[in-house]
Amino acid sequence: MTDDDLDPVIHAQSRLRVVATLAAMPHGDRVSFPKLQRLLDMTAGNLSTHVRKLEEAEYVLVTKTHEGRTPATYLELTSSGRLAFERYSRRLTDLLKGAQS
Amino acid sequence: MAPDDASDEPLDLAESLAIIQAQRARVRDQVAPDPRVLFGAWGVAWLVGYLVLWSSARAEPYGHPGGAAFTVFGVLLSAALAVTIAHIARRTAGVRGASERTGSMYGWTWTIGFSAVVLTMIGLTRAGAGWEVLALGWNALSALVVGVLYAAGAAMWEDWRMFGLGAWIALVAGATTLLGVPGSYLLMALAGGGGMLAAATLAHVSRRKGGW
Repeated sequence: MTDDDLDPVIHAQSRLRVVATLAAMPHGDRVSFPKLQRLLDMTAGNLSTHVRKLEEAEYVLVTKTHEGRTPATYLELTSSGRLAFERYSRRLTDLLKGAQS
Repeated sequence: MAPDDASDEPLDLAESLAIIQAQRARVRDQVAPDPRVLFGAWGVAWLVGYLVLWSSARAEPYGHPGGAAFTVFGVLLSAALAVTIAHIARRTAGVRGASERTGSMYGWTWTIGFSAVVLTMIGLTRAGAGWEVLALGWNALSALVVGVLYAAGAAMWEDWRMFGLGAWIALVAGATTLLGVPGSYLLMALAGGGGMLAAATLAHVSRRKGGW
């Protein structure tokens, strides 16, 4: 069984969890950093580290804004992030089917 | 290397698939509004509230429900509205973008729809409509707004179950006027409230089977 062609940016536990969660959000939606943290049960520092890597790959777009006077951070998958996740999911399914037969 | 790279160890393929499914379920359970809560709250409010109106109307000498019955009805509807607003606010907090804009327009359509019902009923009252016409009008128009907006919302979110419920409620709304008071209340309780509870039950069953 080979997983060489699975996108290495996504194929790591924490980053896969982040990307899968953002991909489950309706297209065009952004989620706040604390809400994403709750959906993942991750610490802020931990999530920031993984988001930075996903941002470098241009899979995740981070928007910093203000709500009243409080700074707020929102995250969403970019089009290439969504595409990469779809490709990853398809490849994963194919590999799992191959492993069964 | 950051210490949390420990969670970046190579993944088993089956484990990857499990992670994707788990996070999808998590978003469904914590971000998307739960139809079981919404249909359940309104189903109970309609079923009990309209049964109270119906039994009161049968007991009163003039055939229309008493003030106490309308108070119970009003409290039940207010409670269902409070549950709806609190539930949607909790689920959608921290989410911005496309669905926030869609949801806001959809929410305003409810307010506008019910404002139009109130205006119409004021107009009919001023035009001299009798109490039974007014009772039937309030019921049917309000339930018509609910049914049509459910069906329209279902079209946006491609939800066939919600579409079926909306279509059913819209038709029940029209049919209540054919029965007159108090039959209209009984039909609203059983077919309207019962329909909502049936939809909540269906949503529960399909969720336990792993669907949405």
